[in-house]
Amino acid sequence: MRNPSSLKQEFLKKWIKGLQICSATKKKMSIMERRKAIKVSADIAMASTRKSTTYWSHALMANASKDDTNKIIIENILGNDDDNSKRIIFKKASMGISMSQKRIVRSKKIVRNSCKISRRARKISPSTIAKKLVKKRTQVLKSLVPGGEYMDDASLIKETLDYIISLRVQVDVMRHLANNASHEINDPKTSS
Amino acid sequence: MNIALPEMLHSITGNGGNGSSEMTVLERQRARMKWQQQQEMSYFNEQNDQLMNSFHHTSEAQQFHGLINVNDQSLNELVTRAIKSDPSLENNWGDFGNTGTEGFGYVSVGVGHGGMSHPSEMNYAISRTTSCPPTMAENAVSTVKAKETILSSNRGRESFKKRKADKNQHLKEVAEEETKEKKLKEYVEEGDSKVTTEKYSNKRSASNSNNSKETSDTSKEKSKITEDKKPDYIHVRARRGQATDSHSLAERVRREKISERMRFLQDLVPGCNKITGKAGMLDEIINYVQSLQRQVEFLSMKLAAVNPRLDIDVDNFFNKDIFATSTSSFPTVGAGTPSEMLSMAPRQFNSLQQIVSSSGLEMGILNLSEMALRRTTSAPVLNPELFLDSSGINQVQSFPTWNTDLDNMYAMELQQGRSAQFLPHPCTGFVEAENDLKMEM
Repeated sequence: MRNPSSLKQEFLKKWIKGLQICSATKKKMSIMERRKAIKVSADIAMASTRKSTTYWSHALMANASKDDTNKIIIENILGNDDDNSKRIIFKKASMGISMSQKRIVRSKKIVRNSCKISRRARKISPSTIAKKLVKKRTQVLKSLVPGGEYMDDASLIKETLDYIISLRVQVDVMRHLANNASHEINDPKTSS
Repeated sequence: MNIALPEMLHSITGNGGNGSSEMTVLERQRARMKWQQQQEMSYFNEQNDQLMNSFHHTSEAQQFHGLINVNDQSLNELVTRAIKSDPSLENNWGDFGNTGTEGFGYVSVGVGHGGMSHPSEMNYAISRTTSCPPTMAENAVSTVKAKETILSSNRGRESFKKRKADKNQHLKEVAEEETKEKKLKEYVEEGDSKVTTEKYSNKRSASNSNNSKETSDTSKEKSKITEDKKPDYIHVRARRGQATDSHSLAERVRREKISERMRFLQDLVPGCNKITGKAGMLDEIINYVQSLQRQVEFLSMKLAAVNPRLDIDVDNFFNKDIFATSTSSFPTVGAGTPSEMLSMAPRQFNSLQQIVSSSGLEMGILNLSEMALRRTTSAPVLNPELFLDSSGINQVQSFPTWNTDLDNMYAMELQQGRSAQFLPHPCTGFVEAENDLKMEM
């Protein structure tokens, strides 16, 4: 497994890069804009630590790159890496996901129709109820994890594992930052 | 790393699960592989040697199915020869056949895993029978399987190829024949393995016709490997008393995969230890992910509120390139804090990087214009670079300790003020920076 501290440092590095870019583009931002910029660059930084090896990171970047301003961030954060990943991400953002969406929608229709036919013969047993519950929850989880809708159960769980670790890293770094920032403000510096 | 995760999981679980009948299929598979690798016996009959030579020649052939074909027929020959030469083997007939099947099994597994050579697999199988039949019998009894299934790992569950390995030596001919004929029918009925059933039946007839009456037993006991050109198959064995349907086997493998990963999620998500069952655990996981995401949003809001401007930059401390190029932004956010940082340099290098980053970040003061000013001040920059190099090597510190270190550092900062224990060549530029900072404050 990756060393968590190295992960954190990498994430921090990239995040700061993204923030710099954000600040370079706009001089004065409202608080909401700032918040959005912070979050977006944090997300992109987090995703880029995985460098598109995981599905969720790829999907996250693809979603983020739909916005033009974010594209610059992504490009810069991924600047040191090979260009292939960038190209793939931008491509995917435009077409790939929509295509897979269509495919899945179509298959869902077929499943739904077949289910309607057999609805009368369905028995209500505890196992089916349990299965229904599990299915509902996997649906919710799929909506939570970026890019999760297009995965089967087993890989979905794997992706959530990875995603949880990265989220934890992100939260840790941000929390420390926020604490230190507020700490710094509260304690008046003797030098100033 | 992501691909390695399942391997890691397997290695963790595989070690503890040897020998118990409750081992998962995957665990058992892994254990068997390990055991097999450890069995470095070189017990050969002369026939075996000849056989091995032929194998070595044929193992150069790239087609997997071709290899298996050869193995199949050669093993038949070996069996006949062995029978004639060594009547004592007759007692362990079933074992021999079983291990032959196992050998085949592992031949294909070897391809799938890419680790073993086929001839060596055969070696293990044959040597196992000749050298330690009683242990094989024990193994057979303890792990009685009814069938083996090969699953494609890449595709969904589309193409199945079946292999049979009857380990129970007491069931012998009649029962085996019956079961095998039933399986044949099953094969024919199933839609998945149409192609393979044809091959299967062809092979069976061929092998039957080729062998004598004595060897026909072993041929039936032996696994029938249908050729498959895709090397990526997971071999699964059905446990005793469980359905041997290919569908159910695949289902079981899938379920075990999922449950294995759920176990790891259990370790990861706090508070999931008491909950059993998929639905409850999924619930917890969802809650946890949602809470983490909400935390991220909240923290980003907080940071936005704290920093009047988004300018945060200490990451130059991380990038050595910047010192070389000196075109990108500059490492001077609160030049005061870096100086304090540097004064702390003789302290723990581990925490330096994090401290630098955190304090620099929290300042969030500089404008880009000011950064342009500081470009002139190169000297103070050198220091961080030096420290950075060393601290970059020790990336060991974990964040909980970071917190405590930070607190210490802050205390030190406040006490020390701006003692310029800098370099012997502190530029005037640095003084300028300090002044600038003071003005800002």
